Parts: sequence; structure tokens; C-alpha cells
Amino acid sequence: MKIDEFMTTKIASIDADLSAYDAIEKMVDRRIRSLLVKFKGKDNDHGVITARDIVFKVLAKGINPTDIKVSSIAARPIVCVNRDVTLTEVSALMEKSHIARVFVCEGEKIIGVVSLLDIMTSSLIMRARGENVP
Amino acid sequence: MFLKKIFDYGKQEERVIENIKRHLELLCNACGFFHGAMEKKDKHLAREVVDSEREGDTIRREIISNVYAGAFLPYLRPDLCRFAEIVDRVFDSLQETALNYLEVKLPEHLRDECLRVAFLNTRMCEMLSISFDAMLNGEDLREKALAIRIYEKKIDDLKFSIVKDLRQIPVDDFWQGRILADFVSSLTNISDNIEDAGDQLQIINVSMKS
Repeated sequence: MKIDEFMTTKIASIDADLSAYDAIEKMVDRRIRSLLVKFKGKDNDHGVITARDIVFKVLAKGINPTDIKVSSIAARPIVCVNRDVTLTEVSALMEKSHIARVFVCEGEKIIGVVSLLDIMTSSLIMRARGENVP
Repeated sequence: MFLKKIFDYGKQEERVIENIKRHLELLCNACGFFHGAMEKKDKHLAREVVDSEREGDTIRREIISNVYAGAFLPYLRPDLCRFAEIVDRVFDSLQETALNYLEVKLPEHLRDECLRVAFLNTRMCEMLSISFDAMLNGEDLREKALAIRIYEKKIDDLKFSIVKDLRQIPVDDFWQGRILADFVSSLTNISDNIEDAGDQLQIINVSMKS
């Protein structure tokens, strides 16, 4: 199974200049755990901010989320793969890089994102279809 | 096959099974037509869905009349008929979506997500068909039912996001807005009906084994 079948295509984003509070609001409102961060300048200059970043780097340290910018806690650059890679290849990449999500890119355009949960759900679907599950 | 072992079924039962398989195959094709219509912006393919719905109606009638003409044990008959009726409901919502698609002015930024829903609907149909075959072989349907629910959840998430975007679209004309809302509603309703059909298969499977 190729990853473009189970990736999430709707990617929510946030400007790097906004505050961590804005990021929290967006994640809670959309029921998601990460946002693509857009930095000013080049179109393909992206980072990623996750719920984990906000909790560990801001809230756990007692920092007011309105006082800190997304740019200062976002991970950068993002890890991209092309749409033809397999579930096994993506899982291996995540394990090697210690990350929980990778972006799927076509040239410089981001077309989707694959998270750990997407990999688990797709492995269940593969089992149900009788395909070989790694 | 499992059913054959249990009921030692004859020609009538065989006809019902074959018709249910045809019904599901036609549904998968119809979902594929609709996905193709959206992907290639080909309205001719959307009309194929309407033809498939009509053919599906005929198959459903055949299934029900064969069942009540004496196929299978009486306690199984209502559940089998209900399954055929739920599959027919999937055809109905697919047809409604196709007809709305012929009229709708779909904003480009919504197209990708709607196309994704159409693709996932096709996958769900395939899984329903796989589940039916698995039931005939006496396999456990737990994994298949879970896969159907996963697809449904994915479509639900997409629906949430599409509806959110939909509210931002300015509407100049009442009917234009109404058709767009109906299109999204029927498109995302297909998976609910497929999930119901999957649940019904579970019921049939459990009642056959008890």
C-alpha cells in the first residue's frame, strides 16, 4: 500500500509569527495535533509545531503561550517523502528520525501528511484486505 | 463454503448469493464511476451512476423475491432482505450525489477534499464486498468491520473540514447554495450507509453461527 492512500490531505497551517496560544486555539478547534508552520520569505520554507512541542516547551515550563512565538518552538525543516513510498519505508524513516509525522511532497508542494496513527490504521486496513502487513 | 456447509443450499440460495455479489460489484463500479466523474470532470460518468442505481433496484427486487420464495431458513430471510435494502440505500445516496454533481458549481478549493471522500467511498465499498466474501467462507468479520469503521471515521473528519470551509463560501443565489450543501451532505452520507451495511453483515454472520 502506498502512502498517498492513507495520508491526510487537509493540512492546517499557521504563520510563524503568531503566538503559541494561536496554535493551541487552532489545534483544539480543528481537533488536530500538529500544524504546518509557514515562515515569511520563501514559499517552501516550512516547519512543524505539535501538541507535544506546546505542552513540553511552553506549558510545562510555566511560560504564558501568548508570550512565545510559534517560530521559536517549531521544528524545522520538515521531513518530506514522495507519494510513492510504502508504509514500511515511512515507518522506518520515522523510527530513524524519531519523528511522529512526515509530510508527503510533490516537488516543492506539500500534498499530505502521514502520522503514526495513519500508519497503524492503514496496517489494519491491509490486514482486512488480506495484504502482507509488515 | 460456510453457508453451503450450514444450509446445504440449493439453486434458490445460490441465486440469492450470486445476486448479492452482483449487487455489491455494481455498487463498487458505481462508486468508481462517480470517483472518475469527479477526477476527470466527466459528467458522462456521473450519468453512469444513475444507470447503475436503476440496475441495482432490479437486482434488489430479485434478491428479495428469491428470498421470500423460499431461499434460506425463515429466521435469516429478514436480515438478508434488510442487507439488500441497505445496499440499495447506498445506491440512492450515490445517485443523489451524482445528480447534485451534475448541477453543482463546486469551488476549486473544495474539490480535492470531495474527491478524497469519493475515493474513500470506493475503498469502503470494496471492503464491504470483501466482508461478504469472507462471511461466505465462514471467516471472522472483526477485522473487516474495523476497516470499514476506519474509513468512515476518515470521511467524517473530512466532512467536518469541508462543512467548515463551506460556511465561508459566499452564496449569491439560494439554489446554488442549496445544491452545494445537498451535494456535500449526500456525498458524505454514502459512507454512513455503507457502514450500516457492514453492521448488517455482522448481524447475519452472528445469527448464522448461533
